[in-house]
Amino acid sequence: MLLPARTAVLNYLYKVGKADINQIMEALKPDYGNERQFTRERYLDHVMSLEANGLLVKSGYGLDGDGELSIEFEINEDGRATVEKYIPAVFR
Amino acid sequence: MSSETTPMRTQGAAADAKMKQLDKKFRVTGISTGLISGLTYGIYTTLVMIAGYYEPLAGAVGLLAAPFVTSGLNDLLAGIWLTIYNAKCGRLSEMGRSLKTFPGKMILLGALFGGPIANGAYLIGLALAGAYAIPISATCALFGALFSWIFLKQKPTKRVVAGMVLCVIGAIVINFVKPEGAENFTLGIICALVAAICWGLEGMISSYGGALLDTDVAVNIRELFSGIVDLFVIVPVIGAIPLLTGTIGAGIPLLWLAVAGLSAAVSFLCWYKSNATVGCAIGMSLNVTYAFWGVLFCVLFLGQELTATIVAGSVIIVCGAVLVTMNPLDLFKKGE
Repeated sequence: MLLPARTAVLNYLYKVGKADINQIMEALKPDYGNERQFTRERYLDHVMSLEANGLLVKSGYGLDGDGELSIEFEINEDGRATVEKYIPAVFR
Repeated sequence: MSSETTPMRTQGAAADAKMKQLDKKFRVTGISTGLISGLTYGIYTTLVMIAGYYEPLAGAVGLLAAPFVTSGLNDLLAGIWLTIYNAKCGRLSEMGRSLKTFPGKMILLGALFGGPIANGAYLIGLALAGAYAIPISATCALFGALFSWIFLKQKPTKRVVAGMVLCVIGAIVINFVKPEGAENFTLGIICALVAAICWGLEGMISSYGGALLDTDVAVNIRELFSGIVDLFVIVPVIGAIPLLTGTIGAGIPLLWLAVAGLSAAVSFLCWYKSNATVGCAIGMSLNVTYAFWGVLFCVLFLGQELTATIVAGSVIIVCGAVLVTMNPLDLFKKGE
């Protein structure tokens, strides 16, 4: 069973602490990569929404090799507490 | 909310400009979807009232039958519109995944309060008290804050309390003069209050991990579940199956409900999107503008009489609801 995509994004950041959108998508690609919803725009929406809900913070940004904006997100205290409360230990 | 902050790493002016542009895009999206959610809920309210003017809904016997048939068909149709949209975007598998999680189950529980109970009560309120029920239902922001205070121990600030008091004053103003010919006006207002209480409960319940789910999927689950419970549990229990089959067979009211369902689907989609983009407080404040649009459309298209008390009461309630959910000055602070 797979976690919902947005949950999986937060869960990944729980494991690694901080990552940018490219790293997040690369890590989730084996499980979600063949889905039509697996787009950069959608995953950016996931992280920005998690940030708007106070579960992540932007820890930095810059331009990647293609001149695209790359934003690094870091899980915060509320994000970690949410993962521990709502995501079963088997996924963490 | 955590106070934890980390110094930002940046790379030059080009990155700064792109970051600023992206932040602005998200903010504009959040505010515009919030405003659209209010406008489309006003449209939904008007269309659902129009559907109720057609037989067999218009001549339905009893207080509950027509509102629950209307509400059930509307929510199911909204759920079907949303399922088509999510299927097109390749998100159908997300529905099953979400339902297996605790936050997904909380969405279902919230949908029970916000769907069959609140929407049913809202439609009874509209049938009995007309447009007067609309701003009363917008006091859901007050109840959301109240339940968060009681159950989540989130103590309200002075600003929130001031907003709550404004909501109550607005509700009293609306009830000051009863419209002529509305026999069950007070009962209609009480039903609108029940709707507001249940929407407040739904908001509080969905805060249990709701942020972990894709909003487009969460709202799809909510509408489908609400429609199914209405049509397959409540309608048979209250003996309204003949009215349901009659409404489907009549065609025209079902057509109005299909368009109303589309408006409701767009409204919920935009509302959830706005909450997830600019935060619940601003999203909810923009959404309650439906009270203004609902009253305006009822005056323009349904011959609702415009009285001083409904205008003053609506304005006071919308201001109160905005004050409960956010500091209005915040809208201007980061909007550059």
